Amino acid sequence: MADEHTINQTPETGAETLLSVQNLTVSADGKTILHDVDLAVGAGETHVIMGPNGAGKSTLGHVVMGDAAYDVEDGAVVFDGIDVTDLSPDKRSRAGLFLSFQAPVEIPGVPVSSFLRAAAAGREGVGDLKGKQFRKHVRELAGELDMDPAYLDRELGVGFSGGEKKKLEMLQLLLLRPKLAILDETDSGLDVDALGVVSRGIDAYRRTADGALVIITHNTRILEHLDVDRVHVMVRGRMVAEGDASLVARIDEHGFEQFEQAAPDAAPDERAEAAPVAAAC
Amino acid sequence: MAATPAASANAAPTITLHHVNAMPAPTWHRLRVNETGVEFPADLRAEPDVQVEAPQELLGEPGAFETALKRLEAHLKSTGELAAASPAGAVADPLDQPALSAFQAASATVEASGSLERAFETGMGSEAFAYLREAAGEPVVIATAPGQQGARAAVRVRGVDGAASAAAVDVVAAEGSDVSVSIALDSPEPGAGAVGCSLRVFAGRDARVSITSTQTLDPAWIALDDTGMMLDERARADVRHTVLGAGQSYTGLAGDLRGEEAKVAVDTRYLGSGARELDFNYELRHHGAKTESAMNANGVLAGASSKTLRGTIDFVRGCKGASGQEVETVLIADERAANRTVPVILCGEDDVAGNHGATIGHVRPEQLLYLASRGLSPEAAEQLFLRATLEEAALSAPDDATRAGVARLGRALLEDFEEEIA
Repeated sequence: MADEHTINQTPETGAETLLSVQNLTVSADGKTILHDVDLAVGAGETHVIMGPNGAGKSTLGHVVMGDAAYDVEDGAVVFDGIDVTDLSPDKRSRAGLFLSFQAPVEIPGVPVSSFLRAAAAGREGVGDLKGKQFRKHVRELAGELDMDPAYLDRELGVGFSGGEKKKLEMLQLLLLRPKLAILDETDSGLDVDALGVVSRGIDAYRRTADGALVIITHNTRILEHLDVDRVHVMVRGRMVAEGDASLVARIDEHGFEQFEQAAPDAAPDERAEAAPVAAAC
Repeated sequence: MAATPAASANAAPTITLHHVNAMPAPTWHRLRVNETGVEFPADLRAEPDVQVEAPQELLGEPGAFETALKRLEAHLKSTGELAAASPAGAVADPLDQPALSAFQAASATVEASGSLERAFETGMGSEAFAYLREAAGEPVVIATAPGQQGARAAVRVRGVDGAASAAAVDVVAAEGSDVSVSIALDSPEPGAGAVGCSLRVFAGRDARVSITSTQTLDPAWIALDDTGMMLDERARADVRHTVLGAGQSYTGLAGDLRGEEAKVAVDTRYLGSGARELDFNYELRHHGAKTESAMNANGVLAGASSKTLRGTIDFVRGCKGASGQEVETVLIADERAANRTVPVILCGEDDVAGNHGATIGHVRPEQLLYLASRGLSPEAAEQLFLRATLEEAALSAPDDATRAGVARLGRALLEDFEEEIA
């Protein structure tokens, strides 16, 4: 575990490190699924994690957020200088972490407006907005995302299309203004129009919150209008490659096969003991 | 009153109402859901604090409900839809009769009586009905003229410390008329006692009746909300029960869909918090052909609250083409909360469609993770469920007084509640 309040710099960009995942090994149901994963994201940076299906990208996002479904066997997650490895997800959220879910849940009986108010309570900038002010602010944000304000009165996620659910995720991103947002395949299953709305949401977040982004995807389309600082490639629970934005084009052209061939394919427990693979870029 | 007095050496004397919210067709006794009893301090005096808001022309004469019932009975007998009473002693040799359950035997007796007065019942049962009527005194009668549209009335019953405060309300909607009645059971002043309403509804041919009942009592009070309905041809009744408070809350509704194509829709919203006990009984009895009923309950159970909901759809022989459905969604936000749901469909007729469904469960781990990822601890998540139910009740309250009752209860449960709905 890292010491509390350690501040260092990301080796690639020189920016102050905001998120530092250090030698993270994670298991679920007794099976190791992430192996010695390292990741360093500087304040205000945009990082992309790519990889084929089942590479462990979403798992990494959930572990960083503190999902109790996974057991951290070794390593640490340090956020904003604080070791958060043992913190609950709500405390990580309050510290400034945000995870946009690949499949946001439905919660019948809870109107979106009530949920947003509870999520914003106590947060700087929005927590002190009173009833009408808060609703006005939320409606303005919904307007930026072409989101019908009527959705705010509906039950959370119930009857929402896939695109509407992702818009709601973006609305929360703009409302909560986290220091770092992990977008877990936010682009999956979206049509061109919905993808445009998500891209607009990301732009607005970067513009208004100057926050860092970790975008988990295996589709490069959402990255077209983003200034990407670093790209990481995961295969079979390992970080197998890292590089600058040019790596996106290379993946677009050649796919993940080159990385899959380079990754160790031993049995899970053996893979945990294997030597790290050299960076591809 | 048939209530039973009881006392022990160390406890204050009490009276008990028996067979409250009894299921028409009981299930296993060991499940302890067939009925309940309501125990009161024996020294509760009857002191109704009832406010009625209605235009003078809407207030009818006592006996209007009984008159409407007799008129319908005469009509149904003239058309052969209701059998004349079987003459005494006409029953064939009992050994020639099929064996009947207690429910079937009682039901057959009522049907054979040819009396709508005997067939009419309320959801909480006869003891509770008698208690409430006696405590309330003279009933408030709300009666529309044939074809009258947009009639509205509000009845507010407020708790009186040390007393049983109850209203008796008869709603008689004449042919083709439309009436909305809101009922509020509230305790704006501190105290303890019982607060209730005994409601009888007669919906004439093509009439439309809307009932909204909102209960916002503090935990020291006992709530009794009892309703019985009789519907003629193509009549429609929409009922909304919002049950948010009271230490013990009892809600019963029985509806008799007597005329062809009559419809009843019951929408129940409830909130259990602290150590509150909620008890519901709904019985919708289809007599008329092509009648339709729907029961939809949606609630949150938090703290160490407990809830029992019985829902019975009874398709009586002859109600061809009738349909009924009952659905309940319960969100259990605390491990200590207890839920019992008893959906029953009784079929005495082949050509009917009845179904029930329930989504009952604790908040799932992925739902808690989602809420946590937005900064909500498990305690904050539970508060969110309470707040959401209260906010919805406040926003859908039929009038300012009811809304104020919800806000008062909300303030007692949650910080800054009123600010949220401002």
